[in-house]
Amino acid sequence: MYFNKHLLWVKVLSWRCALGCCCMHTNMAEPMELLCWGGDWDLPSVHSDSLIVLAYAKFSGAKLAVKSIDWTWRTITASVPQLHYEGSTVTEPAQILNFLRKQRFNADYELTAKQGADTMAYIALLEEKLRPALLHTFWVDAENYVNLTRPWFTSHSPFPLNFFVPGRQASLALSRILLTKAESPLLNITEVEGKIYSEAKECLNLLSHRLGNFHFFFGDTPTSLDAFVFGHIAPLIKAPLPSGQLQKHLNQLDNLCQFCNTILKNYFTDASAEKRMDCSLMATHDPVDANLQKLTQLVNKESNLIEKMDDNLRSSPQHRHETKPSARASERNSPLLSKH
Amino acid sequence: MSVVHVMSLSTAAAEPWPEKATLYQPLKEDQILLSDSASSLAVQTFLRMCGLPVQVSCCANAEYMSPSGKVPFIHVGNQVVSELGPIVQFIKAKGHSLSDGLDDVQRAEMKAYMELVNNMLLTAELYIQWCDDYTATEISRPRYSSPYSWPLNHILAYQKQWEVQRKMNAIGWSGKSLEQVYEDVSQCCQALSQRLGTQPYFFNKQPTELDALVFGHLFTILTTQLTNDELAEKVKSYTNLLSFCHRIEHTYFKEHDRESQSGSPQSIVDIP
Repeated sequence: MYFNKHLLWVKVLSWRCALGCCCMHTNMAEPMELLCWGGDWDLPSVHSDSLIVLAYAKFSGAKLAVKSIDWTWRTITASVPQLHYEGSTVTEPAQILNFLRKQRFNADYELTAKQGADTMAYIALLEEKLRPALLHTFWVDAENYVNLTRPWFTSHSPFPLNFFVPGRQASLALSRILLTKAESPLLNITEVEGKIYSEAKECLNLLSHRLGNFHFFFGDTPTSLDAFVFGHIAPLIKAPLPSGQLQKHLNQLDNLCQFCNTILKNYFTDASAEKRMDCSLMATHDPVDANLQKLTQLVNKESNLIEKMDDNLRSSPQHRHETKPSARASERNSPLLSKH
Repeated sequence: MSVVHVMSLSTAAAEPWPEKATLYQPLKEDQILLSDSASSLAVQTFLRMCGLPVQVSCCANAEYMSPSGKVPFIHVGNQVVSELGPIVQFIKAKGHSLSDGLDDVQRAEMKAYMELVNNMLLTAELYIQWCDDYTATEISRPRYSSPYSWPLNHILAYQKQWEVQRKMNAIGWSGKSLEQVYEDVSQCCQALSQRLGTQPYFFNKQPTELDALVFGHLFTILTTQLTNDELAEKVKSYTNLLSFCHRIEHTYFKEHDRESQSGSPQSIVDIP
């Protein structure tokens, strides 16, 4: 009895030291905590890497306590996504997925050895070919950055970090593109653009060929490859980008759009409800920051209204019309597909 | 830049493959490093698989002559093309292709595996050469700067090292330890081994550019002397990859060994 009590006390102490003064529950098996960016545009998170981890957690049945870093100082200090469990911290989607597999949350259990090898190869393809173009679309392309990305991240960061967070992410994205894709120091970003977009379109075509008519990449159950693909293409499908040539290309690949919508419908329909609960929990535990949040929101509200008006003017009505019929089409098709 | 590239490819398609096509790489004995040697061997293997003759020319300033700054590059007629990807496209425009018989899904797999090799093996080679202090001091910097006199050799060597370290930082590899990098190499080899299985080539009977790329990297890792043998050991533990390398070496390089010594790769049989 004494030994059990001692263990429980040690666990609570170590867990409290790791998490600070946030959580109030003291159950024996504390949930794993994930820090990630908040959600918008019908997505649980707008950040690709966070989406990968969230999707994998849903596929493998892992229960994660999702904490959004919006409006906290972690927007500039933390490298997101970050998993906390029993005092240890894991970053980077690939390492987090490895960690979850070791905790016996394995969505790749039924894959053959060859399929496991294919997973690694396709993930490498995504990282090399698609990620530079995604970074460019959201962070380097002037119209998208000024009209969508920067206002979103500014409005989700606390004062005074809202001046620094988007700029820092943008410069990191630009340096990554230049260092990996611009092979000579003489090339600047405009010359690399054509190359990275054509490679990204080719990558999307290859993924579409590979997916074919199936629900997921390896049969009927989603695996880590599905999580990676979902994390990369979901923001591209759902974000209201003013200038999105890659988005237009992706919208023509129906099976990838349907893949994304299927995952959102089946695994993330109650995401918005969960997020509201998380936000309310955070508010009660950070009374000092609540006033600051209100002030920040009031200041940003006006600029948001202006941004929204611009967005409504700029975003094409076709984009909104396209998403609605495809959602209805997936609902119509799913009873047909489920017969297979 | 890509539009100009496409136009130049289409004009090149009209000319047949000349007799005097040349492949340029850094000096074989003194200067070339593991990653460049692997890329060069991959291109040479691909050209042999296509049946296209090419002369290998070793120059100290090959890196600076290259249009993209990377070696190897080939000089065909009045076209200069560097790196395996663009070279494959260039040769396809000339009418020679190894991957025509593949369907769309197989082509997607081939491209994915080529990216896996580039992402994991090539990056690991660069990391071991330039981000591991011991290897950089003992091997990489002296070899890279051997054709130049003081103080240029120091400047160029440190500049190259700094460039590679910046790239590693940007893709998130700078936080990795050497053991993690060896582990990544091992996982990559495991994936390749599982994909290859018992087949002679990755796409059954016909070799493709993926086979050339994998052979280039694995053969170079197996035959290059680094500060320790751990990298070679990782590859040797997969027997089907070893026999794959033997097979390609005997099929495509056997007659060249008899002809000349310079420019020919070392045979695996000699290495204990």
